Amino acid sequence: MAGCHETDEEAKNFEKQDIILLMGNPNVGKSVFFSDMTGIHVVSSNYAGTTVSYTEGTIKLGDKNYTLIDVPGTYSLEATSDAEAVAINFLKCNPVAVICVLDSTNLERNVKFALELKKYNIPIVYALNMIDVAKRHGYEINTGLLAEELGAPVISTVAVKGEGLDELKEALRRVISRSERISEGNASYSASCENEKAVWNKAREIAARVCKQVNSELGFLDKLGSSMLKPWPGIPIALLVILMSIFVIVGGGKILQDGILLPLVNETVVPFFRNLLSMVIPEGIFLNVLTGEYGIFVIGFEWIFTLILPYVFLFYVVFSFLEDSGILPRLSVLFDSIMRRLGVQGGSMITILMGYGCAVPAIIGSRTATTRKERLIISAVICFAVPCISQTGALISLFANFSPLLLVLMFLLSFAIMMTVSGILGRIIKGKVDPLVIEIPNLLIPNGKAYVKKLMLRMRHFLMDAEVPMLLSILIAAVLKETGLLNYIAVYLEPVVSGWLGLPKEAVIALILGIIRREMAVAPLLEIEGLTALQAFVGGTVALLYLPCLSVFGILTREFNAKVALAIAGSTVINALLVAGLINQVARLFM
Amino acid sequence: MKEGKKEISPDTENSIYYARDNSQYVITSAPDMGVLKGLGIIKDARVHKVFTFKMGGPVLLRVGSREIAIGKDIAEKIMVGGK
Repeated sequence: MAGCHETDEEAKNFEKQDIILLMGNPNVGKSVFFSDMTGIHVVSSNYAGTTVSYTEGTIKLGDKNYTLIDVPGTYSLEATSDAEAVAINFLKCNPVAVICVLDSTNLERNVKFALELKKYNIPIVYALNMIDVAKRHGYEINTGLLAEELGAPVISTVAVKGEGLDELKEALRRVISRSERISEGNASYSASCENEKAVWNKAREIAARVCKQVNSELGFLDKLGSSMLKPWPGIPIALLVILMSIFVIVGGGKILQDGILLPLVNETVVPFFRNLLSMVIPEGIFLNVLTGEYGIFVIGFEWIFTLILPYVFLFYVVFSFLEDSGILPRLSVLFDSIMRRLGVQGGSMITILMGYGCAVPAIIGSRTATTRKERLIISAVICFAVPCISQTGALISLFANFSPLLLVLMFLLSFAIMMTVSGILGRIIKGKVDPLVIEIPNLLIPNGKAYVKKLMLRMRHFLMDAEVPMLLSILIAAVLKETGLLNYIAVYLEPVVSGWLGLPKEAVIALILGIIRREMAVAPLLEIEGLTALQAFVGGTVALLYLPCLSVFGILTREFNAKVALAIAGSTVINALLVAGLINQVARLFM
Repeated sequence: MKEGKKEISPDTENSIYYARDNSQYVITSAPDMGVLKGLGIIKDARVHKVFTFKMGGPVLLRVGSREIAIGKDIAEKIMVGGK
């Protein structure tokens, strides 16, 4: 029914009993309710479309367990998009109740959704969420009257602070037990001949009746929110936000790295393991693999803890703040005209920025793009030239020995490649890219508790997803180098690595490890003594443009198909060797 | 010079994209798109146009209590009349 590839999973839900649906417009806080009620944490943000597929969890009401489903947010129930089709499908699988989350700062449109939902004759409880923001805007909402109009309980909530959740659960329990007494849940859709316009009019009329503006003076955040949308002072503010973000991530990361982590690892942790292991294991290859210059216990700590973690952590500190505050959609509006020239639309900017953290969630997040063409362009751009934060961390360390100018040059090169890739793909992929249509969320100060939770969730995901490939690449590096195996392989790759790219033969490790993880294409370069600035830049270029890591390859295969994944992997490798080699050859002409 | 000031074609002349900033309008016709309908941008709806971004940028509208940005290519197809 739903034009969705997860048919197996959906069929499973059709059979499931006691389903409660969590529904509503995009960006009203459904995912926050879901996390609070089930204890399962899902990433939520302050912009539309964070939930691109549904999530399910268990919720306990009284002494009975129900399955709670976090349905993707939709503006209406007309089946005009995949997300809406999914939502309607769930309504037809006999849920016992629906929690409909309403945004109290935008009552008209949310009441309209409520009216559409009402037609399905399923017991509903309404959560009138973000009531604190509505108050800040000077609105006063008569919940009693609203409940009367909608014919179901309405509970005021502030989900991020957990306010009103107990009342909501209690109301839900009562609604379910009442409907069980009356009928055996014979939910049926009462088709009405009301058209779109009539529903809108009714919604507008109800909203006007229950909501009064008692104070029309705008607060500081609302004024700031509006002025961020105007080119002046919006663009300078946006540039300031971007510069500050880079400063916090790069500067803060460097301080953490040099001030705390590097001394700790080099002077305490590594010597500790060296001493410990040399006491139990006799000298030889095996000990070298463990604690030699490239030993597992040496680069394992050095690369992961000092090179990568500080930057990953700070990136998510900054990015989660930008997400929750509502700044990102404002950036996409401001930069829409530039993004249009690149063949995509402003909304894609959020996805691409996410790619600077990690390509995997970014490629999954590109599902919000409305056409396949746009998804392909965004995913390809991210794979070709957007360095993930782990790699950026490694690049910062690599260039720190030379000049920060190299880092700036590298980012300029990455922008040039991004423009070229999107320009070419825009021309060769058939289909179209839909223009921007984006709702601007309220500007908010992120709630501390929700923010910390999200940060922890992201770090945990990172550690779980990255751990195995990172350890694997470190193991390969240690074995290659400490057993002397590298020298055999290096002979074959010599013409490319030394001849064309002008790199020392140890750089072969970087090329091999780069297949597994992006930052591992940089880390080995750090261990090479006497690298010149040109060699560092050429090596960095190969790493930046080289094929994305194994996980990205997997996600491309899953989200598109093996053909797309292979095409992207192949063309990134060729592009990386070509561009980096050209830089080397041209630079040598002048040196 | 020709490039700089593009002629507005008669088809898009009355669209919200080129309408005067900071005024109320009533939509006379809008493309049949799910997103627009969901956001309340339908025939006979009242919208407040805030302004259009320069260099082919989107148009910023206020519908109800919420601001919505719409890309040029769609905004040119949303026709409006005075209030």
